[in-house]
Amino acid sequence: MAFPFVRLCPRHVSTGLQVCSYATLSKASRPQEKSSAGPVFQYVGQNKKPTPKVFVWGFSFTGALGIPSFVVPDSGRKKPRKYQLTPYRLETAEQISSAACGYGFSLIASSTKDASKLWGMGLNKDSQLGFQRTQHSRHQSYDYVLEPSPVALPLVNPLQTRVLQVACGRAHSLVLTDREGVFSMGNNSYGQCGRRIVEDEVYSGSHIIHNIEGFAGRVVQVACGQDHSLFLTETGKVLACGWGADGQTGLGHHNISSSPVEVGGDLSGVEVQQISTYGDCSLAVSRDGQLFGWGNSEYRQLASVTEATQINSPRHLPLKGCGKVVQAACGGTQVAVLNDKGEVFVWGYGILGKGPNLSESSTPEVIPSTLFGRSQFNPSVAVTRIRCGLSHFAAVTDRGELFVWGKNVRGCLGIGKRDDQYFPWRVTVPGQVVDVACGVDHMVAMAKSLL
Amino acid sequence: MATPAVRMFRRLEGLFCVYKPSGVHWKLVRDSIETNLLKVLNATPSQPLPQEVRFLAQPSTETEAPKGLTLSATSVPVLSKHPLVSGPEFQNIQVGVGHRLDAFSSGVLVLGVGNGNKTLNDLYRTRVTRDYTLEGEFGTATDDFTHTGGVVERSTYEHITQDKLERVLAMLEGANQKALLMYSNVDMRSQEAYEMAVQGLLGPEGKSAPILTGLRCIHFQPPNFILEVQCLNETQKYLRKVVHEIGLELRSTAVCKGIRRTRDGLFTLQDALTRHHWTAADITQAIRQYHSSKKHRKRSQSPAKKPALKTSEDVTATQQNEANEEAAVGKIKKLVAETRS
Repeated sequence: MAFPFVRLCPRHVSTGLQVCSYATLSKASRPQEKSSAGPVFQYVGQNKKPTPKVFVWGFSFTGALGIPSFVVPDSGRKKPRKYQLTPYRLETAEQISSAACGYGFSLIASSTKDASKLWGMGLNKDSQLGFQRTQHSRHQSYDYVLEPSPVALPLVNPLQTRVLQVACGRAHSLVLTDREGVFSMGNNSYGQCGRRIVEDEVYSGSHIIHNIEGFAGRVVQVACGQDHSLFLTETGKVLACGWGADGQTGLGHHNISSSPVEVGGDLSGVEVQQISTYGDCSLAVSRDGQLFGWGNSEYRQLASVTEATQINSPRHLPLKGCGKVVQAACGGTQVAVLNDKGEVFVWGYGILGKGPNLSESSTPEVIPSTLFGRSQFNPSVAVTRIRCGLSHFAAVTDRGELFVWGKNVRGCLGIGKRDDQYFPWRVTVPGQVVDVACGVDHMVAMAKSLL
Repeated sequence: MATPAVRMFRRLEGLFCVYKPSGVHWKLVRDSIETNLLKVLNATPSQPLPQEVRFLAQPSTETEAPKGLTLSATSVPVLSKHPLVSGPEFQNIQVGVGHRLDAFSSGVLVLGVGNGNKTLNDLYRTRVTRDYTLEGEFGTATDDFTHTGGVVERSTYEHITQDKLERVLAMLEGANQKALLMYSNVDMRSQEAYEMAVQGLLGPEGKSAPILTGLRCIHFQPPNFILEVQCLNETQKYLRKVVHEIGLELRSTAVCKGIRRTRDGLFTLQDALTRHHWTAADITQAIRQYHSSKKHRKRSQSPAKKPALKTSEDVTATQQNEANEEAAVGKIKKLVAETRS
C-alpha cells in the first residue's frame, strides 16, 4: 500500500512572498520587502575631496597633448589620432596647478616641493622644453616630446622652491618660481629669454636654462608673446624683453632688447595687477581697473587711441561702458577683457563671438550673458576667467563651465567638430573647470571632479 | 435647430485641466470625466416630441361592415425620435488628453472637449515646457526608479551636502543646455543662430530627446530632497531616471518618491480641478475661464502666432508660477489630503 508522501517539514512561506501557480500579484500590489539583511555600500566617505584632473584636446601630432598613443599607436590595429576633438584625460603624477600652451608645445607645473615639478611635451626643436635626453645617447635631445617629461630646472634649492606659473611663446618658455625668480629656456634669437644674444647659437639640444636677473623686486607674473616676454613685479611694474619690431616690448623703440627693461609710457607710476600677451600685442590691467595697451594694432586692437598700426609705448585705452576691468586676455588678432560684474567684452579682428556678421570691431562689444548660461533658473552666472589663444577665446564661469569660441584651428576648441564657432559654446568637460590654457591649435584644461 | 443638449455641449468645448491623483491610469480619469459630462448632457430636458400627421384607419364598429377604407388624419408623435427609441442624444463625446501622466505621477492633466481637441494638437506641435516637482530619497536604488520597486542596491548618503547636490545639478543643467543647442535645426554658422541663442529661443522643433530646460533643488533634508524641473519632450519614467542618475553622480543611490506636474504650458495647479469638481458645471466654468484668458492674451500681445510667442508665454507663466508656487504647494497639499480622504 502506498502512503501519500507527507512532508514532515512544511515549506516556510515568508509573509512577503505570495507565489501561487496560477497568477502572481502585480508589482504594484506586492508589498515592499524591507530587505534589512542586504548590504549597504559605501562608495565615498565623508571627507572626500574633489580629484584634480587635466584634460587636453587639439592637434596631437606635435606631441603637445602629451598622449603618445595618438602619434605612435600602441597596437597595430589602431590608427594615429591627428585631431582630438573632445577633452581627453591626461594622467599626471601630481596635481597640476599651472599650465601653458605655446606654439606646438605645452608646459604643465605642479606647486609641489618635490624634485619633479615641471613637465613639458610637444615641439622641442629650440629646447623650449629644456634638454630631453634621448634613450640611446645622452648627448642628443628629442625634437618632439610625446609624453609629459620632467624639465630639469637648475634650482639652488630644488626641494624648497615651488613653481608658481609657466608661460609659453612661439619657441621659448618662462617658468616663475616663488623663491628663485624666473627661468627661461628656448629660442633666444631676439633676446626673448632675457639673456645675451649669441650669434649663430644652435638652440636644438641646448642645455641652457637661464635664471633671469635684473628685476628690482619679486616677479609675480610672466607672460610670453610670440617672440617677446613680459614680467610683472609685486610693486606693479612691468618689464619687457625680446623682439620689438611691432613695439610689443613697449620700450619706446622698435629694436630688440635682450634683457628685461622697465616699461614706461602711460604705465609709469601705475600699479599693474595683470599682464597678457600671446601674439604681437600686449595689454596690462592696473589695480584700479584701467586698461593699457601697446604693440601691434594692425587689427584695430588699440584703435581707441591711435590710427597707427603699431604703438611702441604703453597708452591708456579708454573703454566706454566696460566698467572696472579685472582681467584682460590678448590673442593674435583679437582682445577680450572681463569686468568686475563678470561680463566679457571683445574687440579686434576675427571671430569675435557675436555671430558671423561681426568680424571686426575697434570698440568693446559685450557678449550677452545668456550665452554663458544665464537664464531664469540661474540669474547670477558670471564669467571668472578669460583666456585667448591665437585665434580663439575661452571663458570659465563661476559654475565651473568652460565656453569657447573663435576659429577652430585643427580642432583646438574641443567641441567635437572642426567647424568654427561664432558664439560661445559649452565644452563638455567631465568635472568643474578651474583654469584653462590656450595655444595655437591645442588647449589644456585643469579641472576637478564634482564630488 | 440646436437642442438644449447641443447648446450645452457647445459651452463645453474647449480646454481645461484636472488634477490627476497618483495611482490612477490617465485613461480612467478621461473616462470618468466623459461619463460625467455625458450624464449631464443626456439629462438635459429633451425637446418635446414632434408631431406628424398620419392617416390612420378608423377602428371598425361592430354594427357597420364598411366596404371601403376610411382614413382619418390624426396627429401622432413621431416615435422614431423618442429618446427610448433613438437612444440618448450623446453616445460619446470627444474628450482628448494632452500630455499624458503615468499611473505613478500626479498633477496637471490637460483635457480637451470637442473643438478643443484641435487646440490640443497645436499644443503638441509648439514648444511648450512643463514644470514638475520631483521628490527623491537617497539611499536605495530600485529597478523601476521608484520607492515601490524591487530594491537593487542600498548605499550610504551621509557624505551628501546641499553644495554637492547643487554642483551635480549645475552639471546636469549645463549638459541639457548644450542638448538644446544640439537638437535645434538651425545652422550654427549663421547670424540667425546667434540671435536666437542670445534670446534663448534655440531648441528642438517637434520630437526630440527629453531635455531639462531648468533644474534646481527646492528642499534638501537628507535623505529626502525635492527638485523642481522644467522640461521638454519628457516622459515621467525619464524624470525618475534623472533622479536615479543624480544619486549615481553623488556616489550614492536615489529613488523617486513622487512626481507632480505643476504646470503644463499655461495651465497651472491653481486651475486644476480636483476629483470632487469633475462635474459638468465646474468644467464649464473652467472652460469659460480658459476662453476669456485666451481672449485677454490675444488682446494684450501682438497677434503674431509663432512658436516663439509660445515660449515667451511660458516664461511669463513660469514667472507667475514661481511667485504662486508656495501658495500652490500649500493649496495642493490640502487638496491632496482631501482627495485621499
